Amino acid sequence: MKKRKNTPPYIMLAPSVVLMCGLVFYPILVTFTYSLQQMKLTEPQNDKIVGFKNYQMILADSNFWYSFLNSIIILVGVVILTVVIGIAFAMLLNVNTKIKGVLTAAAIIPWALPPIVNGVMWRWIFHPSYGFLNRLLLRCELIEEPVQWLSNRFSVILIVALVVAWRNIPFCAIVLLSALQGIPSHIYESAAIDGSSTGQMFRKITLPLLMPSLGIVVTSTSINAINVFDEIVSLSGYGDVSKTLMMDAYLRTFNFLDYGAGSAITYIIMIFAGILGLLYIRNLYREVNYL
Amino acid sequence: MKKSRVRILSIVCCVFLVSVMLTACGNGKKEEGFGKKEEQKEIVVMVPPWAEPSSELLKEFTEKTGIKVIINIVGWDDIRNKVSIAAAGETAPADVIEVDWSWVGEFGAADWFEPIEMPEEEIEGMPTVKSFMYNDQIVALPYANDFRLAYYNTEHFEQAGVTEAPKTWDEVYEACKKIKDQGISNYPIAMTLSATEASTTSLFWMTLSKYGDIFNDDFTLKKENVLGALEFVNKMVNDDKLIDPASENMKDVEVYGKLTAGATSFMIGPTYYIGLINNPDESQIVGKASAMLVPGNGDIKTATFALPEGIGVSKYSENKEAAKEFVNWYTSPEIQIKMYKEKGNIPTRTKALQQLIESGDIVGGEVLIEQSEYIASPFPGGIPQWYSEMSNTIYNSVNQMVQGAMTPEQACENIEKKVAELK
Repeated sequence: MKKRKNTPPYIMLAPSVVLMCGLVFYPILVTFTYSLQQMKLTEPQNDKIVGFKNYQMILADSNFWYSFLNSIIILVGVVILTVVIGIAFAMLLNVNTKIKGVLTAAAIIPWALPPIVNGVMWRWIFHPSYGFLNRLLLRCELIEEPVQWLSNRFSVILIVALVVAWRNIPFCAIVLLSALQGIPSHIYESAAIDGSSTGQMFRKITLPLLMPSLGIVVTSTSINAINVFDEIVSLSGYGDVSKTLMMDAYLRTFNFLDYGAGSAITYIIMIFAGILGLLYIRNLYREVNYL
Repeated sequence: MKKSRVRILSIVCCVFLVSVMLTACGNGKKEEGFGKKEEQKEIVVMVPPWAEPSSELLKEFTEKTGIKVIINIVGWDDIRNKVSIAAAGETAPADVIEVDWSWVGEFGAADWFEPIEMPEEEIEGMPTVKSFMYNDQIVALPYANDFRLAYYNTEHFEQAGVTEAPKTWDEVYEACKKIKDQGISNYPIAMTLSATEASTTSLFWMTLSKYGDIFNDDFTLKKENVLGALEFVNKMVNDDKLIDPASENMKDVEVYGKLTAGATSFMIGPTYYIGLINNPDESQIVGKASAMLVPGNGDIKTATFALPEGIGVSKYSENKEAAKEFVNWYTSPEIQIKMYKEKGNIPTRTKALQQLIESGDIVGGEVLIEQSEYIASPFPGGIPQWYSEMSNTIYNSVNQMVQGAMTPEQACENIEKKVAELK
C-alpha cells in the first residue's frame, strides 16, 4: 500500500529528471569523456584516449595561470563592487520617496541588457581614439593625449570588472531590497531605545539579516564573473592581455579546434566554480545572529 | 477516482515529454542538415554581409536553375566556429559556406568540404584558386580577389613637398616623418596592431616587402627578416610616433577608416579600397588619394600575398549538386562583374577583372594588375592546418610588443618557438 502511495511523486518528478539527464548530466559526461582524449578536429587520425594528460598539460601551461589570475582579479573586483554598491543602492531604494518606483525601474535597466550590448556600449566609452571618456578628459584639459584604457593588462581587467559589476548591481540591489523590507521595524526600534547608533544598527542588525540574501547575490555574481566572455570580447577582442579562463576554453575549443584540451579546461572551470559555490554556501548560509 | 486521474495525467505527460525528447535526440538521418531533398531544389548559403547577392541576382539564379536560395548572413568571425561545431556533429550549418584563405589548411585537413572539379584552363583564368587547394584538391572557389595594395593621401604628401609616390619603405618613412613634423597629420601611417588576425597579415606584408621571406623552405622562421620587420614597426609606433597607438586596440576597418577620413596619410590595405577611396559616400578624400604598389626595399620592388575569400560546399550537405551549381554560378565572370558593382568585391576571374578595368569601372586598375603580378604565398607548401594557432601567437606578440610588454627580440622568439612547436 505504501509503495502505491509514493508512486505519483516519482512520476511527477520524472519529466524534470529526464530533462536534467538529457540537457545537463549527459553533456557534462560527454565533455568529461572528451577531456580524456586527444581530440583535435583537424587531426581526426590521431584521436585516442590519453587519460588525464590534457589536464596535466593545461596545469603546467603558464598561459593557463595567466588566464586564471585574470579571472581571479575580475572575480574579486566584480564581487566587491557589486556587493558594496548593491547594498548602497538597496538602502537608497528602501527610503520611502515619491520617485521610489521610477528609481527601482531605472535601476533594473543594466540588468536587462544583453552582455554583448553592455560590452559594446562601454567600448564606446573607453575607445582609445574617440571614446567618450577620453573626449571628456581632453575637453576638461585633464589629459593631453588620449589614454589607452584598453591596452594595459590591469586597466582592461579592472574595466571588465567594472562593466560586469554594472550589469550585476541591479540584481544585487533588488534582492537586498526585498531582504531589507523583510526586516521587522521593531528590531530597529528596540535598538534605538537601547541607544544604538545608525552605524551600530547597520553592523549588528542589517548586515547579519542580509547574509542569506548576500549568499545568493555573491554566488550568482561569482558565476557571472567567472563566465564573463561577451564583455571582454567587445572591449578588447581575443587578445592574450585580457584572456580569462572562459576565453582560454573558447580559443582552445573553437579557434584551435582542440576539443580535448578545451573540454579539460571547461572541466577545470566547472570544478573551480563548484568549489566557490560550496564555500559560499558553507559560510553564508549559517544561522543568523543579529543581537 | 481522483487519484487515478492524476496518475493517468502524469503518465501521459511523462510519455509525451519523453517522446518529444527522444524525437529531438534521435538520429534524424533523414532530417539531417536542412532536410531539403534534392527534388525540392532549395539550398542555404552562409556568407558574410559583403558577399550577399541582391534579390534580383538570386531571382536570376532561381529562374535559370530552379534552385531556391536561402541566404544566411553571418559575421565573418562566426562562420568558422559554426562550421567546426556543426562538423563535429557531422552536420552542415549550410549547403554553401564562406571559406577564407586562412581556413583552407584546417578545413582541408579535417575533410569538411566537397572537392570541386575545375578544368586546368579555367584554373589559369582564376589564379587565386591555388590558395584554396589542399592536397591538390580544390576546397572552395574564390569570389573576392583580395591582396594588399598601398594607398596614400596625395594632398598630404604634396604639402610635405613629396610630389612622387614613394617606392621604398625608406622613402615612405622619410615622407611620413615630414608630414608629422609639419603637423599635417599627427599619425601619418595607419597600421592594424590589435590582437586580431589583421596584425598577423600586417607583419606578413611588412616582412615580405621590406625584408623578404618569412619562412625557410623547412617552415622554420626566417628570424632576421621577421625581427627586422618587428623592429621597424616598433620604431614607427613607439619612437617616431608615426602610427597611432590607438591602433593597438582598434579593428582593421577602424584603422583603414582613418585614411578615408583624411586623418592619416599612408596605409597598406585591402584591394577594395581602390574603389572606396574615391567613393563620395564612403570617403572624405575623393580626388586626394591614390593607390600605389606596396613599397619595397630597393632590391625587392614590391611584394604582396593573396587574402581571397571563397565559397565551398559542405561535405555534410544533402544538396551537393545544387550547391555546386550555385558555387559555379556565383564565381562565374558575369556574376563577379555584377557583384563588383553591387558590393565592390574585386573579381577573381582574370577575364572579369580585365573587363572592369577596360570599361573604367575600376579606377587605377593598372596598379591592381601590376601588383597582382607580385602575389606570392608566404607559406612553403601551402597554408598549414595549424594556421590559427600560429596566427594567434603572431598577433598577440605584435600587439604586446607595441604596447611595450615585449621587446622585438622577445616577440620574435615567441613566434619562432610557436612555429617550431607546431610544424
